[in-house]
Amino acid sequence: MTPAEVPDLDPVIHAQARLRVVSALSTLRDSDSITFPRLQEILKMTAGNLSVHLRKLEDASYVEVTKTHRGRTPTTLVKLTRRGRLAFEDYTAALRALLSPHQEES
Amino acid sequence: MLFHISLLVNFAMQTSLTLCDKVLCMAPNDDDLPPADPAESLRLIERERAETERTITPDPRGLLWPWGFAWVLGFGAFFLRYGPDNRTFVDLPDWLPLTLLLVLFVAAGAFTGWFGSRISRSISGPSNRQGAMYGIAWSLAFAGMSAVLSTTNDLLPDPNAAMLWAGVMVALTGAMHMAGGAIWNDRNLFLLGAWTSVVNVIGIIAGFGWHALILAVLGGGGMLLVGTLQWLRLQRLDGRGRG
Repeated sequence: MTPAEVPDLDPVIHAQARLRVVSALSTLRDSDSITFPRLQEILKMTAGNLSVHLRKLEDASYVEVTKTHRGRTPTTLVKLTRRGRLAFEDYTAALRALLSPHQEES
Repeated sequence: MLFHISLLVNFAMQTSLTLCDKVLCMAPNDDDLPPADPAESLRLIERERAETERTITPDPRGLLWPWGFAWVLGFGAFFLRYGPDNRTFVDLPDWLPLTLLLVLFVAAGAFTGWFGSRISRSISGPSNRQGAMYGIAWSLAFAGMSAVLSTTNDLLPDPNAAMLWAGVMVALTGAMHMAGGAIWNDRNLFLLGAWTSVVNVIGIIAGFGWHALILAVLGGGGMLLVGTLQWLRLQRLDGRGRG
């Protein structure tokens, strides 16, 4: 067994707060986005804290943050990118592999 | 087995590396730390997904109960005024049952439209457009139906006109609920639509008077029941998420 065969856990997602953000966003359907305040309400994070984690996820191209207007109210929309969804799926697959390795071996 | 151990070591290593990194960076931000173990990570994911699902799904009671009450009251009044065999249980004015039914339908439609859009305003994208189109389909279909049926008002005696209105309205509602079930792959909503359509036909065959009673009890009651069942399903989802 060489270390290369051990699935790497994505360091961007392998942090509680960002894992929570990505999990919540993964519930939305493809190409749907959610407003920042609603996401904040679901995650019960402060706006500052959520912004910091969103920035990190954005840097990895896992989420897309769009600032737009609804009528005259500025709105910030957040969505998971295809790359982010893929990373999340890989991450959960890796976790399942850790928990039930026999399936992977056979 | 060896593979399993190496994976766990790897998980722990990445965890401790991240930990080191945080300590060295002097960023004591607890939520930047990785979850304790893979099982905990999976629980965290499940919890967050359930919480999100619960937050972005409108309370089914708010969408179905207004209709349920509208049907129970509206068709109930119908039955009391125009009972089977031309019996009148309560001597309401002739115009009242149909007017009451239409008013209750419009009120239920307005309320559920507002209620549904309250949550969907925080979501943007294809789902939202789908919801909007479905809402518009309801309004336009009912407007079209009313426009056509109102031309027959002078041609038919009151009881027959009433049954025509009620029967067509219910057939349309059943069809829209089945379509909703197909759009959102929602079995309960589809079954409600199918149930409504079948009950409508049974009522029409049973005849005048019985039609209204069957719609009030089985139609309106069905909506109250499905609203409650869907709400309970969301509660269970919530419980599993927190558990």
